Amino acid sequence: MKNRIQGLLASMAIAVCTSVSATGLATCDSGPKLGWQPIEKLEKQLSERRWTVRRVKEDGGCYEVYAIDDKGQRVEAYFHPVTLAPVPTKPR
Amino acid sequence: MTSMAWARVWPKWQRLLHAGLALTTVAALVTYQGGRLHEWAGYAALALVLLRLALGFAGPTPARFTAFVRAPMVTWDYARAVWKGREARYLSHNPLGAWMVVVVLSLGAGAAATGALFVTDRFWGEAWLIAAHALLAWPLGLLIPLHIAGVIHASRRHRENLVGAMWWHGGKRAESSDSARSPPEA
Repeated sequence: MKNRIQGLLASMAIAVCTSVSATGLATCDSGPKLGWQPIEKLEKQLSERRWTVRRVKEDGGCYEVYAIDDKGQRVEAYFHPVTLAPVPTKPR
Repeated sequence: MTSMAWARVWPKWQRLLHAGLALTTVAALVTYQGGRLHEWAGYAALALVLLRLALGFAGPTPARFTAFVRAPMVTWDYARAVWKGREARYLSHNPLGAWMVVVVLSLGAGAAATGALFVTDRFWGEAWLIAAHALLAWPLGLLIPLHIAGVIHASRRHRENLVGAMWWHGGKRAESSDSARSPPEA
């Protein structure tokens, strides 16, 4: 009984550890951060489009933006850190 | 073989609530990246978990938390008995199963509530809120398999089909040796 329970717990722990992987909606081939544009420039570009930026973070080599867009919709959008161009996200 | 009584342990409303919570929780975990299905699964789970919590405090006696949740030391002794393969049979939740109910409902309520707040215009993008949401939700991905393992283990130990009891007919045989049996409702 002990062995069965131990084996079960161990295999569950392994399954959890291996299943934790990349969770982002996009990845960017953006190279070293020296070549990245500053976040402030992206924020300025978006506010000119009447977006209210709530948060910008890095995800998968992209800038990930939480914002309210010009139509008042909540958006989670990805931008390339070198070009600041929008990056299409995986459908979900 | 002694004559066996049959007790309706899980009434239909409880089986439906369990099925609804199981399906919405798994749907929300599978769609963890967000999106419309994730959000609606979360809202449904929030409604169901709040209903279950309310009934756990003020519902029919057998469904109340006080009817099946045991003291920590009783639960610890039960866990040691499981380890040694000689735990008693319970007609309702066993002590470990009862704490699983409490923990899963608490995490589910917290995860659904933080998720619902995160997708409001007020809190959209709040880092602390999404961190709390993840910390509350991901343990469910571990606890649900553990819950299923516990059900399979208890079913084999006591030679009964607990999956059928919770998902289908709601009945279990009642034995005179059962621990802390709650009397079948008249």
